[in-house]
Amino acid sequence: MSGALKPSKLLGMAWLNLKHRKLRTVLTTLSVVIGITTIIAVASLGEGFRGEIKQRLEHGFELDVLIVFPGSFVAGLREGFSQSDVDYIKGIENVTLVTPLITVPLTEDLELCNETGAKLGAFTIGGVNFNEMRELLPQRFTLWKGEFPVENETGKMILGYKASIVNETMVADVGGNVSLILSHGFMRWNFTVSGVLAKGGTSGITNFDYWAFIPIEDAIKLARNKEKPYQIILVKVSNPQKAESVARGIEKHFSPYSVTVFVPTALIRQVDGILNLVQMFLVAIGSISLLVAGVGIMNIMTVAVMERTREIGILKAIGAKNRTVLSMFLAEALLIGVIGGLIGEFTGYLLSYGLATVLANFIQPSGVSIAERPEVHRIEMAPSFSPLWMLIAFIFAIAICIIFGLYPARKAAKLNPVEALRYE
Amino acid sequence: MANLAGFSLPVLLDVRNIKKSYRMGKVIVQALRGVSFSVMEGEFLAVLGPSGSGKSTLLHLIGCLDRPDEGEIILDGKNVLKLSDDELAELRLKRIGFIFQFFNLLPRLTALENVELPLMLARVPEREAREKAKKLLELVGLGGRLNHKPSELSGGEQQRVAIARALVNDPKLVLADEPTGNLDTKSGWDIVNLMRKLNEEMNQTFIVVTHDQKVAEVADRIIYLRDGLVEGIKSVPR
Repeated sequence: MSGALKPSKLLGMAWLNLKHRKLRTVLTTLSVVIGITTIIAVASLGEGFRGEIKQRLEHGFELDVLIVFPGSFVAGLREGFSQSDVDYIKGIENVTLVTPLITVPLTEDLELCNETGAKLGAFTIGGVNFNEMRELLPQRFTLWKGEFPVENETGKMILGYKASIVNETMVADVGGNVSLILSHGFMRWNFTVSGVLAKGGTSGITNFDYWAFIPIEDAIKLARNKEKPYQIILVKVSNPQKAESVARGIEKHFSPYSVTVFVPTALIRQVDGILNLVQMFLVAIGSISLLVAGVGIMNIMTVAVMERTREIGILKAIGAKNRTVLSMFLAEALLIGVIGGLIGEFTGYLLSYGLATVLANFIQPSGVSIAERPEVHRIEMAPSFSPLWMLIAFIFAIAICIIFGLYPARKAAKLNPVEALRYE
Repeated sequence: MANLAGFSLPVLLDVRNIKKSYRMGKVIVQALRGVSFSVMEGEFLAVLGPSGSGKSTLLHLIGCLDRPDEGEIILDGKNVLKLSDDELAELRLKRIGFIFQFFNLLPRLTALENVELPLMLARVPEREAREKAKKLLELVGLGGRLNHKPSELSGGEQQRVAIARALVNDPKLVLADEPTGNLDTKSGWDIVNLMRKLNEEMNQTFIVVTHDQKVAEVADRIIYLRDGLVEGIKSVPR
């Protein structure tokens, strides 16, 4: 098509014109660089932080295990579950294993002591079926030492790591005898420690460090309500993706608000959703700086069109079409967008690592020294660069430059050639 | 074919009763009040008149940079007023060459690049364009200054570059608006003689607007313009 320049010529001339106004070009490009840097830094840091939180949550929970509690936030605490509740849940589709827990909190009135009368580190007595627990939580319900009691073997106890070790001394070891003492000796049950669980590590609901487990047959004797003795039902589903539908199935069985089903995948999804929203919000704020850059481009190009009015007249006189003039100015905006975008991606990359280092020192869990609680990992703030974000930012830079360049470029294209030639 | 005042040549341009007014501030200026004339192919025509006579406006209208309020302009058999803006641009690119009083070269391009520009717009292949531009710069006597920027050239040299640029697309019609107006007498005459030489050797049609009677005398015919009207047409005897 005649009257139009080849793209290579167009860009070549644009480059010449930009070079001619070096300082202006550099400053305008700088504003684009700042905008893209902000977006890249915010997006990659947000992405990295989000990934870290998600990973921690996934690590802290078994994604295929639902935890069913009696009562709810609305209705308050309610009596426990019965065996028929357990049996009902077993019948729900995609449920592979159901095991009930009897939990008895240790208080001043119910103490767990070793042979010398020293209190153990446990906070809760859990009555469980050991085999089912091991099958349900194969990664977490593992022994540090000793062994699990065999089926139906009563009078045995498995201690959580922190239950057996108080102030760095082993208060109850494998083979030792411990006693549950009610009302300072009014009643006493004796157990033999058959094993100690491995350290739980990260947080999460199923952290058993401060628990002491006994066979469910023993625990039932401690339960106040023998008909509805279970305070927790753990439910394993065939696939984490089925967790929420199973949870709905469980809720249906009970009257409204009389049960709470904790679904780890739902929690993670919600937290991730919130973090995603926060990230988007930050990126949106970052994008404002790019808009400001766009206004700067519009300003500088409007001035350039005025300065080059005569030149535009000449181009039109020798046969340049309106759209040729338009594309010549847009090519300059495009070049600024491409160069500013590329530099911005690079500086954004650098900035996010710099920021990550600075921020990491601010967001460590407060009040706890890492030495004291090594299981609370140091939060990593490594930025995560997704090619998608890089691409979006780059396209955004170019789009902003083109959109804001369009007005002055159109102004140039529409100039009347006679008036443009007369312009001094 | 037309038979006008003894000429028996094909008519390249026919201007019929064109009128044009424009606004200058609050005043409406009647620049052209009904101008008619014809130009033959290969003719060298001068439009002579004092400033304010409307001769520049006339040239802009013939050059398709603007449209008249009334009247018709037939260029090479085509009524240019019926063409779209893009078609007019195409016409300027391929059929018309412009030479201006202030040379109007692009300051950031070299002499060669300035001459190449119309070829680039016409999408002539790069190598061919370069050859052609060089040839024309040699023709106007600037073979040795191809890579000079306009600011490194004298006024006369810049006007030669402008002439090369005007001719590079082989236009049918070359329009010159006071081409000597910004030059010293000698450079001015060199330019006039160069245009006349190109007119004779390449049979290119020239319309030169001037207020200089001596420059006008070089032409085949002179159109006298005053207050937006043709005062008279005179053939210059050779």
